[in-house]
Amino acid sequence: MEGIVCSWCHYANEPDRVSCGTCGAPLDVADVVSASGWRAAPRLQEMTEFRVGNITCQIAGQVVPVAEFTLADGDTIFFEQHTLLWKERTVSLTGKNLRAAGQRTVAGMPHAVIEARGPGRIAVTRDASGEAVVLPLHPGIETDVRGHAFLAASQNVAYDFIRIDKLASMLHGGPGMYLDRFVAGDTQGLLLLHGYGNVFQRRLGGGEKILVEPGGFLYKDSPVAINPVPVQAGAGFRNANWAELTGPGRVGIQSMYVHRHII
Amino acid sequence: MSEHTGTGASPGYVCPYCRLSSDASSPACPNCGAPIDVRELRDDEGWAEQPPIRDMAHIQAGRSRCQITGTYVPVAEVNLAPGDQVYFSHHVLLWADPTTQLAARPMKKSWDRHKAGMPLVMMEATGPGRIAFSEDDPGELIAVPLEAGQGIDIAEHHFLVATAAVSYDWISSGIWWTTGGGEVIYPGGKYMDRFSAQQRGLLLLHARGNTFIRDLRDGERIYVVPHALVYKDLSVHMNIHMERPASPRAHWMVITMIRLTGPGRVAIQSQYEPKSEAHWGWDKLGPDGSWRNWNPDPSRWRRGPKEAEPLYP
Repeated sequence: MEGIVCSWCHYANEPDRVSCGTCGAPLDVADVVSASGWRAAPRLQEMTEFRVGNITCQIAGQVVPVAEFTLADGDTIFFEQHTLLWKERTVSLTGKNLRAAGQRTVAGMPHAVIEARGPGRIAVTRDASGEAVVLPLHPGIETDVRGHAFLAASQNVAYDFIRIDKLASMLHGGPGMYLDRFVAGDTQGLLLLHGYGNVFQRRLGGGEKILVEPGGFLYKDSPVAINPVPVQAGAGFRNANWAELTGPGRVGIQSMYVHRHII
Repeated sequence: MSEHTGTGASPGYVCPYCRLSSDASSPACPNCGAPIDVRELRDDEGWAEQPPIRDMAHIQAGRSRCQITGTYVPVAEVNLAPGDQVYFSHHVLLWADPTTQLAARPMKKSWDRHKAGMPLVMMEATGPGRIAFSEDDPGELIAVPLEAGQGIDIAEHHFLVATAAVSYDWISSGIWWTTGGGEVIYPGGKYMDRFSAQQRGLLLLHARGNTFIRDLRDGERIYVVPHALVYKDLSVHMNIHMERPASPRAHWMVITMIRLTGPGRVAIQSQYEPKSEAHWGWDKLGPDGSWRNWNPDPSRWRRGPKEAEPLYP
């Protein structure tokens, strides 16, 4: 009997599964794709459970989802300090050493990142309504994420940041001057994001461009170039800068965002 | 209530939400996207819940087409035909194809708008191309198709996008009161957006939480808290109304409401910012304002400047 290939993470599942074993996407519902080619991120069913390596994750809640992790002895995940919801006594917490911590602080990026080590259970959530987006990272895949959007990642995912070229992006662009960069190691890693509102993904072809309001940008594959593009908003007002994304690769957006007012 | 013939007009089905006729063969009204195959939910008071537009539903707007995606914070994707135009407040733009031409839309009385807290920068998008809009709060999108000659008043901060056939203006809300110290307070905003259609057009609104509509009979009155109002027909009159609760612990409190008088339709949202005004009284109320003191012996409590004569609505 043939397995079911998840259309979100491409993992081959056993035929009897109703949700993907590595990303939790429902396997028994059709893809939801708009006429423009934006695909809605899989709406994870309540209490959906999936597994990456030895780490088991369960998504609870629909309006403000909670990600509960079951960690085996020695397994580690990391997350921003203020996303911690609860943990069991056996889970130990350690501050993660980050490169250029001072620069991160000045840039408004997460600088208090905590590592949780099993055995035990721990849960994280962000304090806003939206969707949990599971991005299983295949070995070597690099994903860039807007600041303060990542919920948790497994230990084998390297965490760094990149600078967006051109100073204008810092002055005008919603995501700020830096993006978080997550790189999977030799084995598949788990990256869990929180998108405000609804999350949509589109795969851009080589050279294909799309203009996105900077606050709506959520993530992209590292080959996708991001550049601030000025759009004249009105006489007497300074230009609004939007993010021009150029393929190839995946782009993720969120429908609810904090807008930077033009004046 | 008047009935109009909308897109795909074989008058077999009149949508209770946009009041237009259409072919009932599709699962959603082609004019406003409201699902057809759902039972109307109406409470004993006459409020009907506006059913949310389903994920991926299409709405036809002339040669252009709109698709609603998402459920928590819905997105309106508009596929603009060549030459077709929509306008919107700059902050609701989510993404655009590079082929879509974007330009600023000239606005009159910019300073007044800025002082009133209304969106200052409006933009126009011209097809061909695709463009998408979303607000920043969980809620619902409401599609209001307008026939030629029709108009509607929208409370501020609900407007998402409109086609070029719909003209835009703003009017004084008339909902204000002044404190004894002379401060003018606009509980529902100083202005309302007024949209009028020269020819058939589409207006998209965003409401926070869930949306409920009610058709008021001629002379029928309803009182709503100011920030719950989403829109009203032009025929619905709107005035300020104040109430003083009957409670020894709340006698200093006045509750500000909007008095809506039919005939016509009003729509409210279930999520809003509640406000109570801790003032002793008021000096002036907006046009045709009314108030009511629920205390059995109003003379026991300190009265405001203009509360000597009870004015029961």
